Amino acid sequence: MPEKSKQDRPAAGPTMQMLRRCLFLMALCGVAAFLVLLARLYKLQIVDHTYYEQMAIRQQLREAPTSAARGVIYDSKMNALAVSASVDNVYLSPAEIQMYGEDKELIARELAEILELDYAEVLEKASRTDSWYVTVARKVERETADRVRAFKNEYGLRGVRLETDTKRYYPNSSLACHLIGFVGTDNVGLEGIEAQYDAALAGSAGRTVRATNAFGTDLLFSQFEEYYPGEDGYDLVTTLDSTIQFYIEKHLKQAVEDYDIQNGAGAIAMDVNTGAILAMASLGNYDLNHFLQVSPEDQAAADAAGSPEQAQALLSAAQTRQWRNKALSDTYEPGSTFKIITLSMALEEGAVGLNDSFYCPGSVNVIGRTSPIRCWKSGGHGSQNLTQAVQHSCNAAFVNIGQRVGAETFYKYCEAFGFLNLTGNPDENLTATTGIDLAGESGSIWWSENTFYAPKNLSQLAAASFGQTFTITPLQLITAVSACVNGGRLMQPYVVGKMLNPDGSVAYERQPKLVRQVISEETSRQVRSILEQVVGDPNEGTGRNAAVAGYRIGGKTGTSEKVSLEAQTGEKQYIVSFIGFAPADDPQIAVLIFLDTPSNASGIYVSGGQMAAPVVGRMMADILPYLGVEPKLSGEEAARMDASMPDVEGLTLSEAARQLEDSRLRWRTIGDGDTVTAQLPAQGVSLAAGTQVILYMGAEPSSELETVPDLAGMRYCDARDALSYYGIYIQTVSPVTDSGSQTVSGQSVAAGTRVGHGSVVEVTLVSGDESMLGKY
Amino acid sequence: MRYESARLTGFSASGGEERRSGFDSSFFLLVLLLLTMGVVMVLSSSYARAYYDPGGITGGNAAYYFVRQLIFAALGVGAMLLASRLPMSFYRRYAFPFLALTLVLLMLVPVIGVKANGSRRWLGVGGLTVQPSELAKLAVILSFACLICRTRGRMKSFRYGILPFAGILAAIVGLLVLEPHFSASIIIIAIGGAMLFLGGAGLGWFAAAFGAAGTGLAVLLTFFPYASSRISTWLDPFSSSSDEGYQIVQSLYTIGSGGVSGLGLGGSRQKFLYLPEEHNDFIFSVACEELGFIGAALILVLFALLILRGYWIALHCRDRFSLLVCAGVTTLLAIQVFLNVAVVTNLVPCTGISLPFFSYGGTALLIQLGEMGIILSASRDLLERRK
Repeated sequence: MPEKSKQDRPAAGPTMQMLRRCLFLMALCGVAAFLVLLARLYKLQIVDHTYYEQMAIRQQLREAPTSAARGVIYDSKMNALAVSASVDNVYLSPAEIQMYGEDKELIARELAEILELDYAEVLEKASRTDSWYVTVARKVERETADRVRAFKNEYGLRGVRLETDTKRYYPNSSLACHLIGFVGTDNVGLEGIEAQYDAALAGSAGRTVRATNAFGTDLLFSQFEEYYPGEDGYDLVTTLDSTIQFYIEKHLKQAVEDYDIQNGAGAIAMDVNTGAILAMASLGNYDLNHFLQVSPEDQAAADAAGSPEQAQALLSAAQTRQWRNKALSDTYEPGSTFKIITLSMALEEGAVGLNDSFYCPGSVNVIGRTSPIRCWKSGGHGSQNLTQAVQHSCNAAFVNIGQRVGAETFYKYCEAFGFLNLTGNPDENLTATTGIDLAGESGSIWWSENTFYAPKNLSQLAAASFGQTFTITPLQLITAVSACVNGGRLMQPYVVGKMLNPDGSVAYERQPKLVRQVISEETSRQVRSILEQVVGDPNEGTGRNAAVAGYRIGGKTGTSEKVSLEAQTGEKQYIVSFIGFAPADDPQIAVLIFLDTPSNASGIYVSGGQMAAPVVGRMMADILPYLGVEPKLSGEEAARMDASMPDVEGLTLSEAARQLEDSRLRWRTIGDGDTVTAQLPAQGVSLAAGTQVILYMGAEPSSELETVPDLAGMRYCDARDALSYYGIYIQTVSPVTDSGSQTVSGQSVAAGTRVGHGSVVEVTLVSGDESMLGKY
Repeated sequence: MRYESARLTGFSASGGEERRSGFDSSFFLLVLLLLTMGVVMVLSSSYARAYYDPGGITGGNAAYYFVRQLIFAALGVGAMLLASRLPMSFYRRYAFPFLALTLVLLMLVPVIGVKANGSRRWLGVGGLTVQPSELAKLAVILSFACLICRTRGRMKSFRYGILPFAGILAAIVGLLVLEPHFSASIIIIAIGGAMLFLGGAGLGWFAAAFGAAGTGLAVLLTFFPYASSRISTWLDPFSSSSDEGYQIVQSLYTIGSGGVSGLGLGGSRQKFLYLPEEHNDFIFSVACEELGFIGAALILVLFALLILRGYWIALHCRDRFSLLVCAGVTTLLAIQVFLNVAVVTNLVPCTGISLPFFSYGGTALLIQLGEMGIILSASRDLLERRK
């Protein structure tokens, strides 16, 4: 080897050692290393494939619920009561605002203006740059959302985003609010039908599963997306009739104003034969579209509160109060209206007969009571038959009837009517509910069997006979009374009649459910007949103020003392109520109203007969024609009823006079022409017989407005004349039996209102007979 | 003999007095094949990041990285062909000047280097950036090969066989640690060791070096919490909340998702910003996800074939210098491939090593292809094939 020559050395051939070592490296780097790597890949990609794939998919997939359309709630005539509409939630992606260098001040300024928000607040949200999702506004309506969309597109903003949501709308605002209920921001039903039928209405949400990038936004191409469809909710067809509900609420509201009701009021209208709820109202009510908003008085009270916590507490209390369905959730002592139940069981058991005689000395002593039970009439009703005892709402007679029935039989019937459930434990206080398909039903409260049956303590039975010492819900009472007058069948009350599939086909139809036959058809007929006389007898019937001319109405008054409250405050407070049904010979509808704590200062005598009965009468006068029930007036009744104004324009005075006399109207003239140039009121207006109309003989009719006077307490004929003096006319649905003694109880146009000539004021008449005033 | 070889390979050098035979076409084709696959994988793996552009680099142009890589691949093939034309004597002659240049550039890095991710590793040259550490790898191979040829017969002695080499390594690694750039330091130490091994250094030195490295590692782990946290991240990446832990976990998800046949080319979901550095250090993970075990194994087999062919060329070189350079460059390639795949599969602790021909990075690709050109140059003058 030429070791001396430096230049030659590098050119020298490789040594064997070099070749050996090179071969070693070749085996190590070219074979062994790759075998290790392949083994590792085999482990990761084939042995542990499923595990890593699951982990990767878990982070890649986003599940987005797709909302199912919430079902519509209809009334029985298919008017929509609750509908859902598509709205948008507006949110920001501050991380993208920063990433794309978008102007967050511009965004905050514009969004604050469009959405009517606070600029600083939106700016703060836009500055949370570590977040990809910050909600700015929820449930933004279409028009506003479109403005946000236009702004977003104008500037090509990627950080401003919208997502679809649904919002519930209630077209009738507050109508039947307690029955319908509402949903929260998450579209879950919170009250009423919305809560009770939440699952059916909601349907099941579908979901979209899609692969996203690490920021949670879409992949470039929809490489993986699967849609699992949801199911839309059922539409509900309720038994509610919006028209009847409207009448009920209108008259109930007027009653609350007329009588200055302190503690709210409620009403239920029920289909007597099926138990279907036609209307249910509770005052004060609220607007379902703004269910958090409380009445101006409650808001003012909250605003005046010392601290924010206090204000919040006041607001919450007011909200809870306004959301409460009194007809369903409040229990009360029904008072005399319960006599219908006592009467029915006594007749069914044969404990009394129609010809039995009951003597009322004005009060009655009962074992277990230190003071005698008084009848509302201090002098007593004297001798009376069964019908008269009911007509008079005589407590003394009913104490007697209750004792004839006996405590155990009394409870047996109370159970049969659905007021209580006997448990077999005689020491347990008793309760029951109707099981109506509505959330929030309260149970009744009754004494235990041992207390009630104790022979030494007949006072419980005595007071229960006329509806005191226990509490029930208004719903229980109207359900039981319906059974008393519909032929004895206790029906389970309900509000949802049908569920419809999204395509409109019927998914489920509810058949009226007979709970049990409580009394016989014959007994029921007797009860109907007696109750009709309570309303229909203008002289002896304590319910006569509920009468409507031309209709056969039965019913019963109730005036119950709030005993427990009296014990606390020493002040006598009452719940006045009335339950009526019509037509009395073939009942279709029953209406119960209760007015909690009328003011003593309203000028109207506080009792069910004077306050609640006329309200039910007014309701019936609207509802019965709507239901297609024809009024039937006797000739004598018709004569006392309204007259119709004839067309006398263009006639001479003598011709006009003859026509007006035929129509039982009086007249006066203004002007001195020969022919009638104008008349007040116009042709066809119905007027109280004997009303004075105005004939213009060439003179121009005045266009001035007149102030409606306060008619409350005026005799009917005086009110008629007082109004016609101003060219305003009076009308009534009450039967006019004696225009000299009947007084005005309610007027359709409030006193002080300015109206034009020829306007008509509807009034309700109550009996002015002082001897008939009492707490019945 | 030469003519036959040229005829067989189908490539022949034209012109020049000293007519050289054609280069090794198998090696050349394997390089082109891997390069093509690499460029395609750059497109597939990078377009999501380029499109979303979270770093604000690409302006939303999905082909941003791909187009750049394609340009450098074309330039790189040109560089490879050019390098294959230069005779091996040229590389021998300029080995030390090249080493000197590299050292100067390495010294410039801490002064005028471009800083990124807390390290200063790049030199900016008119819009391009170069990592002098890439040049240093080649400089070590060339200068060691040159030195080994001169030191012939005295490689077993410490003074001639170890000291000069250790001096060069110490200078380079010292400068790299300043940047700091540990992964390059490791590779350079490894390649230096491989060169000494080929050159005939006593095996005892290697035993001593491994012993010292083991001790050093133990000391490092005991006294430097940063290093030990790296190790614990390596041992259980799922329990670590560090960036490395996140990277490795995402890489394992990516590789594991591929299964046998993969999600299909372009079908990766992990590249949608879950996996960091998906077109760089972790591009092989995306390839595993999209092409499955079959595709990943194919890539590894191609690399293995290229490496085996590189050693085969080295074994057939007529002179020591060519053998040492070919074996050195091939070993360098093997080390990089092995370490990259080992890192992304969590076989070794996480560190930033790119995959040759695949990872995005223009100047590194240019240098790597140039190195392949040197092997091709050597392949023009091989011994007669043995039967």
